[in-house]
Amino acid sequence: MPDTILVVVEQREGKLNRVSWETLAAGQALAAETGWTLEAAVAGSGVAGFAGEIAAKRVAKVYAVESPKLEPYTPDAFSAALKQFIESKQPKLVLMPHTYQVRDFVPKLATAMGRTAISDCIGYKRDGTKLLCTRQMFQGKLAADVSFACDPPWFVTFQNGAFRGDKVEAGASAAPVETVNVTIPDGVIRNKPQEVFKEAKQAVDLTQAEIIVSVGRGIKEQKNIELAKQLAEALGGELAASRPICDSGWLPMDRQIGSSGQTVAPKLYLALGISGAIQHIVGMKGSRTIIAINKDSEAPIFEIADFAVVGNLFDIVPPLIEEVKKAKAGS
Amino acid sequence: MLIFRKPLEGIDRPQMPADVVIVGGGPAGMACALRLSQLIDEHNAKNPDSQLSKENIYVLEKAREIGQHCLSGALLDPRSMRELLPGFEKEAPLDAEVTKEAVYFLTEKNKLKFPITPPPLRDHGNYVISLNRFVKWLGSKVEATGITVFTGFAGSELLFDGDRVTGVRTDDKGIDKEGHQKSNFEPGYDLNAKVVVLAEGTRGSLTKQLIAKFDLAKGCNPQTYGQGVKELWEVPAGRIAPGEVIYTMGWPLTTKEYGGAWIYGGKDNVVSLGFVVGLDYPDPRLDPQRVLQDFKQHPFVTKLLQGGKMIRYGAKSLPYGGWWSIPPVAGNGWMILGDSAGFLNSQRLKGIHLAIKSGMLAAETAFEALTKDDSSAKTLSGFQRKVESSWIKDELWKVRNFHQGFEHGFWAGMFNAGIQQFTGGRGLRARYTNRTGPEHMKKLAELPADGGAESRLLGPAKGDGKLTFDKLTDLYHSGTKHEEDQPSHLIIHDTNICNARCAKEFGNPCQNFCPANVYEMVDDAEQPNGKRISLNPSNCVHCKTCDIADPYQIITWVPPEGGGGPNYDGM
Repeated sequence: MPDTILVVVEQREGKLNRVSWETLAAGQALAAETGWTLEAAVAGSGVAGFAGEIAAKRVAKVYAVESPKLEPYTPDAFSAALKQFIESKQPKLVLMPHTYQVRDFVPKLATAMGRTAISDCIGYKRDGTKLLCTRQMFQGKLAADVSFACDPPWFVTFQNGAFRGDKVEAGASAAPVETVNVTIPDGVIRNKPQEVFKEAKQAVDLTQAEIIVSVGRGIKEQKNIELAKQLAEALGGELAASRPICDSGWLPMDRQIGSSGQTVAPKLYLALGISGAIQHIVGMKGSRTIIAINKDSEAPIFEIADFAVVGNLFDIVPPLIEEVKKAKAGS
Repeated sequence: MLIFRKPLEGIDRPQMPADVVIVGGGPAGMACALRLSQLIDEHNAKNPDSQLSKENIYVLEKAREIGQHCLSGALLDPRSMRELLPGFEKEAPLDAEVTKEAVYFLTEKNKLKFPITPPPLRDHGNYVISLNRFVKWLGSKVEATGITVFTGFAGSELLFDGDRVTGVRTDDKGIDKEGHQKSNFEPGYDLNAKVVVLAEGTRGSLTKQLIAKFDLAKGCNPQTYGQGVKELWEVPAGRIAPGEVIYTMGWPLTTKEYGGAWIYGGKDNVVSLGFVVGLDYPDPRLDPQRVLQDFKQHPFVTKLLQGGKMIRYGAKSLPYGGWWSIPPVAGNGWMILGDSAGFLNSQRLKGIHLAIKSGMLAAETAFEALTKDDSSAKTLSGFQRKVESSWIKDELWKVRNFHQGFEHGFWAGMFNAGIQQFTGGRGLRARYTNRTGPEHMKKLAELPADGGAESRLLGPAKGDGKLTFDKLTDLYHSGTKHEEDQPSHLIIHDTNICNARCAKEFGNPCQNFCPANVYEMVDDAEQPNGKRISLNPSNCVHCKTCDIADPYQIITWVPPEGGGGPNYDGM
């Protein structure tokens, strides 16, 4: 039996991950150089459609590794299914894209098979019969060539962008597709997937806000943030803060204005109890109108404020909210 | 809840073999790398059959770019550079040769010029430089040799095998505030090195680890330190000539504090000015950044700066202790260079030339270790001997008792300095001793509530925004940036001491001596004194003052995630 390269492509919720094409391109290049056979596999529940899509490319065969237990994704199910499948096929080399999902299950899969995975590679070289995988070290300042000391199958994952997905060659004719049903015994899956969520990197885009109510240390306590929030809501604006507030965890970091946060230029910037250190000023000085409320008449914020209100914000803000509400109701 | 940075435990780390790892890419570290490369080139030219490789020689530099954390006055005594790179003057970035010098004693409104410039402060033949630009240039020379400089990587701890230093662990990247791994987590590397060279600058964190582990400071005078606070100004033309050097003593300090100011004229009307305050002052309310602001209000200085613009700010500590404070500088697998060892002439206020020389000597020893394939104490102690028979010792020996002479104030210090001048540095005793800086600090109860004669020095600077600046504004001009979401790299071993004891006894001097507003006492009704320590680690300019000057010695500075810190462009 000739040596085989198996590319495991990734699908998630009915979508083929684009990076899979890059890995397939890597597989094709390696197969051309080594003369090894290139096969591909996709795991999931009802994935024959994907298998067909891949079969159009230049591969010898495509496997649809099927089990109803592969949907939704869990690392336990995927490593169990792929272990069964890979053990039965005994490929020499298993290539995968270095995606979040692969990162999640590949260590488990390789360990379960007593093999090594070389992850996040940016390329490969061949040294005689040896396969060298290139990995970055020291944040890309060095590149290390790493080879396997264990028996095959060898697991390699490739970094996003390491190969060109558009270079995948189409096959002369469609490759055969074989469905392989795997059985995942009860009790193997210990993970209980929760609803998928995307980490909101920037939940609020303060740069788009026309009105910003921003709070500083003068707000004194976390519970008083509510007051600023009410004012922001009454005005139809966004709530923001200076660094000490976000540092204390009273508001999330994505609401921080200043040199270590966001830079904004709204039509109206209302600064409540913000002294106006330069680190804050650089993040909001482009605002069209700045209203500052601070009890310290020498606070530097007043130097750039268009309207300076010297006084206790707890005396000023509650009636202000009422007035804003009244004005809005009247208009 | 404060979470402090420490290397993660129980994880697999990439291992990398290395011949020589130099921790710190300042003048000492870069000179060491460059000299080592020269020696290897000479060797390889002579020995075609036994070639030495430079591939496994690495410099770790925590700054994002070479030179970014380098701050000094700076005047360069060219002696060691002429040995390292003869004719370096033609290509190095030098601002000006010193042409004119003066020393003044300041009183509040007046200045008294010393009739002659005291010999140690004569600077003809030296150069005004920006250390940042100089090291950038030196670093580019190192990179051209094929030696790798890992910028953005800090040495986070030393690796040991028994009594041998076997390598350096770099910083873990991608750890969040709570100490958890983020999606960009990357564990620190273990660089398993034959020779580890510590060139971290003053109060190096690995050097501190090494000194503590092997009790290296035993028998030495305690190291003492100063804090230099510097501003770079652009002034109207004609105020000061390039190469003009001014030193001042006296005002705003009283006779109880040690320190003084420098003003150097650079090119393009840029003036470097700064104030060094000995970190052995008595009043915990003293604030070195404020001292610099007060200094600028002296009519003599105001006249120089008026109408100008402050363009950059920074601060750094420097070792004053001199010869008797230097620990053993070589051992089994390790050597210590430059300010980390304490190679600084406190009388001349110069250490760059000594740092470079120490780097060169260490390179010779490291080269010997590589050719002999032996980096045990037997070989590396050659560095200790080289230092002792070089002009480093000649220079430091003459001033071995200088700073200790000021142990009891300014007048006693001037008296001792005078006697030492005529006795080859000896003075009245063979060896003057001293206490550590923090031991000089007095409790608030022992001091007048209003500060007495020192009252003008105490508390934070207000700043007028033109000539003088509050600390946060100054800090902004240091260009300091860190990854915000990481554990605090300022480790307080017991915050109860801050909140309960220190608040009462010393009034939390960390708020005052930190030149970057890292330490703050914030309201907290649950604390005995109504306040709680709060940290702003991302303000840190890496000066190490807190590690040095805290009266309870409960603060440890460790490097934050590599790449963070000040940006001392042009400083």
